[in-house]
Formats: sequence, structure tokens, C-alpha cells
Amino acid sequence: MSDGPLIVQSDKTLLLEVDHPLAKECRAAIAPFAELERSPEHVHTYRVTPLALWNARAAGHDAEQVVDALVRFSRYPVPHALLVDVADTMDRFGRLTLAQNPVHGLVLTSSDRAVLEEVVRSKRVAPMLGARIDADSVVVHASERGRLKQALLKIGWPAEDLAGYVDGAAHPIELDQSNWHLRDYQQQAVDGFWAGGSGVVVLPCGAGKTLVGAAAMAEAKATTLILVTNTVAGRQWKRELIARTSLTEEEIGEYSGERKEIRPVTIATYQVITTRRKGEYRHLDLFDAQDWGLIVYDEVHLLPAPIFRLTADLQSRRRLGLTATLVREDGREDDVFSLIGPKRYDAPWRDIEAQGYIAPAECIEVRVSLDDEERMTYAVAEPEERYRIAATAASKLPVIRRVLERHPDEPSLVIGAYLDQLDELGRALDAPVIQGSTTNREREKLFDAFRAGEIRTLVVSKVANFSIDLPEAAVAVQVSGTFGSRQEEAQRLGRVLRPKADGRQAHFYTVVSRDTLDSEYAAHRQRFLAEQGYAYTIVDAADLAGPGEVNGPDWVDEPAD
Amino acid sequence: MPTDPPATLAAWLRTRSDEQLSALLAARPDVARPAPSDVVALASRLAVPVSVDRALDELDAATLQVLDVVLLAPTDGVAPDAIAAALPDVPVEVLTAGLERLTTRALLWGDDVLRAPDPVRRAVRHPAGLGRRASELRLALPGDLEATLAELDAEERGVLERLAGERPVGHLPDIPSDGGRTPARRLLTAGLLARIDALNVELPREIGLHLRGDAPFGPPRLRPEPAVTAHEQGSVDRRAAGAALESVGKVGELLGILEEEPAGLLRSGGVGVRDQKRLARELHVGEPDAAWLLELAYTAGLLDVGGPHRDEWLPTRGYDIWREQDLADRWATLAAGWLTGVRLPSLVGQRDVAGKAVNPLSPDLVRHTAPAIRRSALAVLAEYPPGSGLAPDDLVSLLRWRTPRRADRLAPVPAMLAEAARLGVVVGGVLSTAGRGLLAHGEDGAAMSIRGLLPAPVDHVLAQPDLSLIAPGPLVSELADTLAVVADVESSGGATVFRVSEASVRRALDHGWSASDLHDFFTRVSRTPVPQALDYLVDDVARQHGRLRVGSIESYVRSDDHGLLSQVLNDRRAASAELRRLAPGVLVSGLGADEVLTVLRDAGYAPAGENPGGAVLTRPAARPRAAGRRPGSDPSPAARPLTAPELAATVREMRAGDAALSARRGTAVRSVPGVTTASTLELLSRAIGAGLPVWLGYVDAQGSGSQRVVQPVSLVGGFLSGYDERRGENATFAVHRITSVALVEQGAEDAGRTA
Repeated sequence: MSDGPLIVQSDKTLLLEVDHPLAKECRAAIAPFAELERSPEHVHTYRVTPLALWNARAAGHDAEQVVDALVRFSRYPVPHALLVDVADTMDRFGRLTLAQNPVHGLVLTSSDRAVLEEVVRSKRVAPMLGARIDADSVVVHASERGRLKQALLKIGWPAEDLAGYVDGAAHPIELDQSNWHLRDYQQQAVDGFWAGGSGVVVLPCGAGKTLVGAAAMAEAKATTLILVTNTVAGRQWKRELIARTSLTEEEIGEYSGERKEIRPVTIATYQVITTRRKGEYRHLDLFDAQDWGLIVYDEVHLLPAPIFRLTADLQSRRRLGLTATLVREDGREDDVFSLIGPKRYDAPWRDIEAQGYIAPAECIEVRVSLDDEERMTYAVAEPEERYRIAATAASKLPVIRRVLERHPDEPSLVIGAYLDQLDELGRALDAPVIQGSTTNREREKLFDAFRAGEIRTLVVSKVANFSIDLPEAAVAVQVSGTFGSRQEEAQRLGRVLRPKADGRQAHFYTVVSRDTLDSEYAAHRQRFLAEQGYAYTIVDAADLAGPGEVNGPDWVDEPAD
Repeated sequence: MPTDPPATLAAWLRTRSDEQLSALLAARPDVARPAPSDVVALASRLAVPVSVDRALDELDAATLQVLDVVLLAPTDGVAPDAIAAALPDVPVEVLTAGLERLTTRALLWGDDVLRAPDPVRRAVRHPAGLGRRASELRLALPGDLEATLAELDAEERGVLERLAGERPVGHLPDIPSDGGRTPARRLLTAGLLARIDALNVELPREIGLHLRGDAPFGPPRLRPEPAVTAHEQGSVDRRAAGAALESVGKVGELLGILEEEPAGLLRSGGVGVRDQKRLARELHVGEPDAAWLLELAYTAGLLDVGGPHRDEWLPTRGYDIWREQDLADRWATLAAGWLTGVRLPSLVGQRDVAGKAVNPLSPDLVRHTAPAIRRSALAVLAEYPPGSGLAPDDLVSLLRWRTPRRADRLAPVPAMLAEAARLGVVVGGVLSTAGRGLLAHGEDGAAMSIRGLLPAPVDHVLAQPDLSLIAPGPLVSELADTLAVVADVESSGGATVFRVSEASVRRALDHGWSASDLHDFFTRVSRTPVPQALDYLVDDVARQHGRLRVGSIESYVRSDDHGLLSQVLNDRRAASAELRRLAPGVLVSGLGADEVLTVLRDAGYAPAGENPGGAVLTRPAARPRAAGRRPGSDPSPAARPLTAPELAATVREMRAGDAALSARRGTAVRSVPGVTTASTLELLSRAIGAGLPVWLGYVDAQGSGSQRVVQPVSLVGGFLSGYDERRGENATFAVHRITSVALVEQGAEDAGRTA
């Protein structure tokens, strides 16, 4: 029996023992067709899903490679049925292809007549198809390219889209690499995307997704529409593009609630596009305003449903999705696959951290005991009020202060969800508060001051969950949140993961009230972070050592013996 | 030496050598048990229709085609050369082998001229796929057949040609609604088809032969040579081991679930759809898979009906033994159960005549032919060298050639092969080494062949900071039991992923674990350092747990008489019951209720056990178990083949009996014990045919025996009628009262040859 690092489970999860000598090789072999689900300390879990297998097929891997990788690295015999299932699933991709035909336009062609017959008879698909050309091909209404791909995926026969893209209106864009260089993985991501035509690049927060977008634009050299989550993120993009490319201020337009500029490169927010008045989307013409050569979707995992619908009509344009995680809490990963494209590049957080591009992070949960009065209030509260009472307990305040005192020189963020609590914290810590109602101008002013080191501590609300860029935040303290949402956690952690100038460690604190709902949610968070492979420590508030003390933030462990 | 060819089957048998007789008995073992007393008895046993059918069923298509030639010949008796001439496309060696097989089995007899015994003629209903003669069908064919056939339209001719193919009997279509007449009905009116019952018609032989032209026996039926699929045996075995691991794991999980919550027994037998769905959900498999696992566990004797009212499906006592065995033995139990099982799991979910889907474990799934079919299918694969085999379709067509008369039984073969693949007996059409072991040496052979391929059980886990515990292989059963309490299974397969959660820790505490027990346990079984988060979790839950005192004790003693309880508590004789006072009126003990009862009784008290409802029990209930089937005789219906010494002894016995028979001929007849009815009948039939008088030993209705010479006339319905010479009258004799028969003064010249 071989002694491989991989164990194949019957539910198609793969367990990879990371300390095994062959682990690295094995990870490289399984990465194309298995999604990393959890990466705790010793054994990583990957999952083989149909989508992952099709992603692999789209990237040019065949079933034989997949089966070989499983069999070669598996410690135990792999059930034959599982291998057959893998091969069958992969075989379903590419039976149908979408291509341009010089005579008939867009045509769906099949190498397997039975499949085409099944598809043509499907109620969901039939209305999108036109006349039958011959036994193996059928005309597709050009406007239905996206919806057809979506529908085909749903019935389990994903189509390979070879219909190509329009070039769009040309516009010269160059990367200006005079004082920086594209990192290897960023270059690989751009190459992977460009070779595939359209698709999604998965990179952790802080790994420089914006630059991947800029490099893709430089490759396309065409007018580009960039869709971002909010205005601040949009300004961020604009700043980066001006700094890193040949584009000038005049060439970049902002299309948001405040301004409606359409320029060769236009940055629009999801919100403005999905704004409806009298039941109609008012800004759809944006998509036709220019002959766009490239559309960039920032934070694909947050892409709202209406944009999916609009994207279905944009299938002839190149599409680049950028995200830190393909996990969508609404489970619409398959729409991302069929409408934006398959995953083209993927690098796990830990690998990039190991290369020194993102800061190593330490996660600490600080447990606070509520005083008797608070406990009584909590005990008698209505269920829906309980979390708020536990999360905003006044007993947390001294602990938060003490945490900040541990890192007197570090730029720190205090993140919370309840405005009352944030205001109180702002007063107590003498720090400015940024929340939803803070104007964009005010925000940028504070961020600039923070970046310059004039302000050491910022108190921020949920707005911090999305694309704001605070390069020097080294400490984050979260005091309350949205019921332990994994996505929120990933974003907040991302705040402190930007590489530090001197390679210092990042600290991510969570202050929770012991024995309440707060600590229950903290358990979700803990599991998520541990699954991502972060060291997670639980400390009692009373044991929280200050600088210079045993177990303090600068304490170096002596060898145990 | 006389040169006349033997005139009857019995006489021909007498000319066969001992080896040839042995071969006959070996090929048709049903006639050898019990041993026939002589050759005449053997001949009449060979004539029994059931035996003939059985022998014919085992012949392949090529051999049956040779037989067809003899059966269809216009004369009784065909020379071997004539057979070869009738089948010009069949190679000589195939023909010779076929004739050899037929004569060995006495389905044809004779040396220079081959004859078919009447029972064989009767058993082959449609020789070469041709119908009966027109005369037998009471059909008057037109004089000029050729001309009549030439006048038929294309549709009608099509019908005739179809019936002239493999099967001369066809289904008469319903009368169309427009009142028109179908071609078949027109043919019926024209007298070219015969109606044999309300629904079916038969094509007379003459028309069939006419349509077949110069190939009256159809195309030669040679052995199909399907493409051989080849896989490297090592890889086959590894994949088989994967399947084996999966099967054992899933059956174990299934029984674990049923142990916690048994499935209900339907009134019609079997497991209900709701239970099936529940099991599928809990096992994370499809419903058909759940049904298959249930069937597998049942045929392996691990699951049966039990419970206090015998209305639940429960793991059997055999399960307790099974789960302690190593993986190889566990797999072998499953595989052997499947191989010999008389059930067809693939029928689950199919609709019966009434349109009702068949439930898993339903008695409707029993097919007594199943083990024989399963074995014969796998035996075909076993003939191929290791690493090669056949695709399922090819295997079925080969089986159909081998036993064409049993082709209707082959329907379940593809499903059986799929089951074999799930078990790891067959991988991609190739028999695994373990499968070969199973076929050749049964359960032990299977276990032995697969043992080296299955992982050794592990006795540790890897604890991770995300509170998962990973058992990197199959667990030793003791650890598996413990982990089932303290953690939940998240994923199973080669390894098992457990997750420790608040709920699972609470469950462990409910089971009487303390926080320190859990800490110790995790430290002991984890290869990796126990993560801080896990310790915190245990402590957190334990702290909450302590507020409501939920302890775990085995038994209590309660009484309204507080004085009595104090007396018990202070009684030294009752000290071994380890009692302590929990509250006024209640003593508790860490010992089991039965132990405490015994101690108190010994100490002279009169305690009574009670159930949670407070009702008095005589003894605490044990865990429920189904009785299971008793290990008994091998359920395989395949008869044990005769051994060489047995064959030799039987032949010897027959020869002796034969000698005795011929020596007695001509002398006064005594009652000869051991003469069977069959041989009596044989002799009587011969006498009727030849018009010879016989000596008859007869016991009349009053019980008095007599011997008389009778000129037999007919043998009908169990009665022999004839002319009784001594009494000078016609008489009727009940066959069952005839004690002995012998021919009178005949065959003296035969006696010399036999002796």
C-alpha cells in the first residue's frame, strides 16, 4: 500500500496531510480540480465539485490527469465508483460548444447527438435556440448567449464558449512599472485570464487584485468598464490606475451617485447600476455607452443579482472577475461560472503570506466577563436583543483600551457594528468615527490622516467591510459584528493583512463577552479563521499581558525545555 | 461376439465402458442419487422429463444445434456423417465435441447411428426453432406450397419469415379498431398458421423449412468471441480494495444508525420508504444505494427482524462479532453473503404487477436461482486470465450462448455485475484477486486475498485548531465507539473527519464523562498537540454543564421509608453496592441496577427493580438484538459434485445389479427387493412394445401375494392391463402393487454378453 499524503473520502472531499513530504507536490496536482475548503494546521480539506471539475476541464486538464492525481497520491485505495463519477462529470463539459459560424452566426454544436437532443428538448433551453442547422448543431439567438450558458449549466451540460470576443474601442493603456513590478503570481493571474478569455481570478485580500485588473487592461488596450462595490473603492481604483498606468485623471470617469462621467475607462458602482426608478433600471445604457473591450468586476462574490442579469447580455465582451473567495453566501457560484467565466487563477492566502506579500496575522480572542448587572440585563433580555446587549457591554471598554495599549505605536482600527457603541468608543478612546453617514470627502480626509500617521486609531463601522485600503493598519480590534458571518470576517481580516513596511506581524483581536451569544458567534469566527490556517488564541481579559510582560505582544517564547 | 447394434437405450448403456458410465453420472448427477440398481433402472431414470430438461439446460447453443439435426431427421437414427453434411458451416471439431457431449449425457445414443430417446424429443419443443409438423397442428397445407407462398403480400411474408426465425410461436395481435384484418389473421384464415391457444399461433414446420431454404438449421451457432477488456491486475485490486473499504464503511454506518433508531417492519415485510429515505439522508447516499446497503447487510446476516414485538429491523448478534473483526473479514462476510444470497437487490423500487414499488428487504425479492446465476456469471470471468475480463453486454451474450435454454434467467446479470463492482469483486469487467478468492475458496479465500490491500486500523486522531479530529484511516472499533460519543462524524471514507462541537461535548458529559476525562482522552488519542480552542470548548461547556447538575449514575434505591434507607446506607453487608445519599429518600450507586439488586437481596432486603415509569420490573431490560439466522447448512442450492470414488462405486453397483437381473431371466420370479418402479415400468413398456409375456409378482387388495404370467396389452394411468394366462382372463393390475417383473424365456443370447 502506498503511503501518500492524500485521503479520498466518499463524499468527494480530499484530506491532505500538510506535513507529508509529498504534500506540496500533491497540492499542485489536485489544485486544478479541487477547491480548497479548509486549511487548518495539519490536514487541509479540498472538495471536488462538478463546478471544480469543469473549471479544470476549461483550464485544459482531462479526466485522466485527475484520476491519476487521485490514485497516485492517495494513501488508501480509491473507490472505483468515485473515479468513474469524476470521469463522467468531466466528460459532460465540452460536449457542447458555442462558436461563431460565418453563415449562421452563433451556433451551439455538439459532439454527441444524444446530448444535443436532450438539450433541445429541455423546456428551459428550447426558447433560446433557433433553427436546427443539421443533426449536430443549432442556431442560438445571439442575445441569449449568457442565459443559454446559465441554463445549460443548470441542466448539467456546461457549454464551452469558443465564440470569441469583440475587441471594443481601442484605447492605449500601458503599465508604468518605473518604481514597482508586477509580482509573479499577479503576472500568472493575468496570463491565465488572458489565455482563457474570460474568468475569475481568486486572490486573498491585500494581494493586489487592483494591479491584476490594471495589468489586464494594459493587455486589452481597450476601453474598460470597472464595476466596484462602492464609491470609496472606486476612488481607490482610480488612484491606483493613475499611479500605476499610463492613464491620466482625464481618461478615467466616475459613474456613481454623485457623478455620471463616461470616459474611456469608467468606474461604476454596483449600487448606481442597480438603482431603479419606477421599476426600471435607469443606468443600463451605461453598458452601451461605449464599445467596451473589457469589463472588470471587483469583489465578484458580492455581485448583486441584477448585475448577473445584465452580464448575461454582455457575453461577447471580455470579463474579468476579481475576488478573495468564490464562496457566495447565496450559493450562486454556478452563475459566476457560467456568466463571468471559470476560475482562471487561484492562490491560497498562506502561500502568498509565505512569499511575504501579505502580513502574517495573529488572531486573538479576548474574553471579557460581564459584571453582575450586565449579566442580569442579558439574562432577562428578549432573544432578539441579546446579541446587541452582549456585544455592546460596557465591560468591554477597558479591555479594548488595554488591547490598544499593547501596541502603542501601531496604527489600529476598532471595528464594530452598533453606532451607539462606536460613538461611545470614539469618545472614550478619543478617536474619530467613520460610519455610513460620514461623507466621502470626510472619509478620505480621515483616511489620509491615518495613512500619514497623524491619527493612530480609527473607529469604523461596517463600511470597513468593503474595499477601503488602509495600508498601514497593523492592529484590528473587532468589538461587534454581523452574527459571525464568514465573509465579513475575511474582509475584516483583510484590513490588517496588507504588507507592512517592515514585515511586522498583524494582530487581529476580537473582544467577546463570555458565556453569551457573543461567544457563540465567536466560535463560528474561530472555526473560520482556524480553517483558513490562522493561529487562533483565546485569552481571558484578566490574563491579557501588556508590553514587556510575560506573554505580552513582544514576548518571545523560550524553548520549552 | 454378436455384432447387432444394441436395440434399446438400456442395451446401449450396457455396452458403455465404466469410464463412460462414470462420465454420464458425473454429467447428470441427479440420476446417480440414490444409486440406480442396474442399467435398466439407470435408463429409466435418464428418461425422467425433469432430468432431461436439466441436462438440456446445461448445453450450449452449438451442441443444441447438433441435437436439432438428429431431432429433425426424417428417420429415427442418423449417421454422424449425415449430421456433418447437414451443418456444412460448423467446423468438424465443434461438431465432434457436440456429439461427444450429447452421447456422454445419453441425450443421444447409438454408435454408428445416433438416436434420440423419446423424452429428449418431447423436451425440445421447437427443434432448430421450427414448429411442429402441419399434421400435428391439425392443419392441411395447400398442395402447392411454393405457389401459395409466392402469392402472399410483403406484410404476410414478413410475418412468416419472422416466425421462421428463432421462434415459431408468435403472439396474435389484437384486432385493429378499424375492423381490418392483420396479416397474421389473414394467414390464419389461409391455413398457413395454426392457432395453438387464444393468443398464440404457430408456424408449421414445413413452411418454416421451406422459407429457410438450403439452411434448414439456421446459421451456425458458434461460440461468440467477445473483445477482452484488459486492466492491470494491480490497479484492479487497488480499486477493488477501495470499493471494499467503502462497502464495509457504509454498512457499518448503516447498522450504527439502525442500532440507534431501528427501521420499522412493514406488514408486507421489508423496510418502508420513509425509513429508506431517512437512512439515505443520514448516510449521504441516494435512496437506491441505501436499499442496496440494507440488502447487503441482511444477506450477510448482520441485520434482521427483532425487537420486543418483532416489528423492527435491528442489527443482529452477528453484527457485534462482525464489527470486532478486521476489515478483510468484514468484507469477506459481506461478499460471501452477497454471492450466496437468494435475493435480488436490484429489484428494489421496481413496480410489480399491481404497480406497487418493491421495498428493500421485502420477501418479494427472493429468487432461488439467484446464487446459481451469480456464480455462473462470475465463473465466466474467472476463466479469463488475471487482468482481463469482459464488458457486461459481452458477458451476457456469452452466457446466452452457453445456456440458451436458460436465457430468460439472465435478465438480472447486468445488475449483478454492477453489485459485484460496488463490492469490489469485479472492477471494470475484470475479476479482482479477492473476487477470485471468493469464488474459489469462499469467505476465507476472499478475506485472505484482500487482507494485504486494506489499510491497518489506526488508534489515533489528528486534532486540529478548527475543532476537527481526523482519523487518518479506519479506526480500531473501541476508539470508534468512543469518538462516536464525543464528536460528530462529518465525512467518512478512507479517513473519518469528526467534529467536536458544543453539542457533542455536552453529549459526552451526558454520557458520564467529566471535563478532565475529555482532556485526558484528547491528549491520549491525538498525535498532534491538543489545540487550545478544544480545551477551551470542553471547559466552557463543562462549566455550563455544572450549573444544572446532570450526573450519570447507574442505579438508584428509593423508598418512602427514610429509616429503612438509613439502615441500608449503614449496613455493612450492603457496602459493596456503593450507595450514597443523593437526597432524602433517594440513594444512588455507580453500579448497575442488577448488581445493586443482588447485593441488597443477599443482605436480606426485599428490593424490587423499577422502570423509569415506576412500574416494578423483575429485571432490567437488556439491549435489543435480533435473533438472526442460525448458522446452518450452506444455503447454496448447487448440488455437491460427485467425487471419483463415488462415481466408481455407483457404476460398480449398477453392474452388479445388471448381472443379477440377467441371471434371473427365465427362472421363476421371486420378489426382488430393490427393483424400483421405474425399472419395472421400463421392463413392462418393453414387453408391451415387443408383445412378450412377463412374470408378474403381484400383491392384491387383500394383501396376498401371487405370481403369474401375463401377456401385457397396455400401461395407462398407473394400471397395467393384459391377459392372465394362468387364469385365462383379461385382468387389470395396479402398478404400485406389482412387486417384481421379468420377461419370460427371452433374451438368453443377451445374457452372455453382459456377464
